[in-house]
Amino acid sequence: MRGPTQILPTDRADEMLINMGPQHPATHGVLKVVIGLEGERVTRAVPHIGFLHRNHEKIEEARTYPQIITYTDRMDYVSGLQNELPFILAVEDLLGVEVPDRAKYLRVIFFELYRLASHLVWLGTGMLDFGAITPFLYTFRDRERILEIVEKTAGARMLPNYFTFGGVRRDVHPDFFKDVADFLDFFEKRLPDYYALVLDSPVFQARAVGVGVLPKERAIARGASGPVLRASGVAYDVRKAEPYDAYPEIEFEVPVREEGDVYARFWVRFKEMEESIKIIRQAIEKTPKVGPYKGKVPARMKVKGSRYRAVEISRGHLGAHVVGDGTDRPYRIKHRSPSFANLQLIPDLLVGARFADAIAILSSLDPVFGEVDR
Amino acid sequence: MSLLAEVWEAVRAIGQGMAAVNRRVGESAVTEFYPYQKPEIPPVSVQFLALIQNEDGSDRCVSCLACERACPSQVITIERKRNPAGKGFVLERFDLDFVNCMHCANCVEVCPVSAIVTVGDFEHAVYDVNMLKADKAFLDEIGRRAQVWYSPKFGVEIRKPDGSIEKAPPEMQPGGLAELLAGEEGA
Repeated sequence: MRGPTQILPTDRADEMLINMGPQHPATHGVLKVVIGLEGERVTRAVPHIGFLHRNHEKIEEARTYPQIITYTDRMDYVSGLQNELPFILAVEDLLGVEVPDRAKYLRVIFFELYRLASHLVWLGTGMLDFGAITPFLYTFRDRERILEIVEKTAGARMLPNYFTFGGVRRDVHPDFFKDVADFLDFFEKRLPDYYALVLDSPVFQARAVGVGVLPKERAIARGASGPVLRASGVAYDVRKAEPYDAYPEIEFEVPVREEGDVYARFWVRFKEMEESIKIIRQAIEKTPKVGPYKGKVPARMKVKGSRYRAVEISRGHLGAHVVGDGTDRPYRIKHRSPSFANLQLIPDLLVGARFADAIAILSSLDPVFGEVDR
Repeated sequence: MSLLAEVWEAVRAIGQGMAAVNRRVGESAVTEFYPYQKPEIPPVSVQFLALIQNEDGSDRCVSCLACERACPSQVITIERKRNPAGKGFVLERFDLDFVNCMHCANCVEVCPVSAIVTVGDFEHAVYDVNMLKADKAFLDEIGRRAQVWYSPKFGVEIRKPDGSIEKAPPEMQPGGLAELLAGEEGA
């Protein structure tokens, strides 16, 4: 029996099938794309997923609510902390938990720190796909500083398990605000280097401008979100559309670009990093100096009802639908993950492109496989 | 675009990139002499878990089973018996399977007496996976060796050279900011 994603071998002499991945160095994680090639042109492209499937949603149904937070971390492991939030927001709504102001701002600061960390990983590995090794070495060194700041307070670097119902798990380290401010000053000086190495470089532009164009209608029809959608001219950002935590009190812009090509997707992520710096600066200023960092949560959680909440993680619209039946374990949890939806664009973008461009397009989509396969 | 202009563009691009790289040439390189110089790891960092004993050598653990219930990967196994002398329970068995442990520190979070704690002891790579199945004696040994550890209930604690245990100053506490500010206001 042939599965729905399998591709028929061709009997045409001029078409060659290539299995790109799951061990190909230019596919992020364990993506396998079967690509049909006619010379240099891609004739068809079928993504195969599921190599990292580990039954996330079913495992979570068998765990109590506080235990589940640990699992949500492991979806998008590059921006680990961000994944905890939609589930926590949904349960907080169902329980009617009040989140103190200080916790809201702390959440925003950590959220945006992870956006910076995630975009730095994307920039480094993305440029590896383009054949440039230097940015990788630089971005990972800068990211290390973010992780060190997070480790001091949250206790882990990538999967910190720091947010909890009603706020955050513990107050921040005494040096935290100073560390973050220092890092932002440092990173602001680094950004021009990245512009020079990547975005403003004519070598990069020659490979990125006009490549892998995604029309607006197609992006909406396929359910794309995040930088991929905003690069196609749709100004949709969950932080503006359905604000959560302290985002309504913070001023920031949503970078949008009309072209929808690889260059536009890179440009949007670069501008997002600048916006993140602005957001963190404002949040540090507005965070109440003292105050509780955690609201009152019932000791035994009995959640009843269903709620869907979404947040804007580094890759787009991440949602969690929690259905509780009045016991201490959820009846059902559904995660809506951005990379999974963005990956549907592969046939649209790759067919007709050159093979070398296919790798550039994949890196501009920035999928993380922990979250695609779940 | 003429050929000459294209060549000029390429040269300019390379020069631009090289300039950006050159700006970093003078930066001090960081080399860690790892086995000789151990990295400083904040005590809150979940490197390993340990059981802490009181100064007199008795278990802090009161066998309340809170950590066993809170563990998402269900790797903690506790057996207890009624305390023959007095009330409460005493530990008979405390097994922690580090093979499946996710190092989320939920057990440390819920412990009411700060018996199970996080330590910055990270050199526990072994050749045999069965070596990672820790029992109470092993966890106690790590606890005895630890000089500094963290648990949310008591914060960071330090073992002094004479064996007594005391709470670290707020500068070392991961959640010490509020405490420091409150102290400033009071003074």
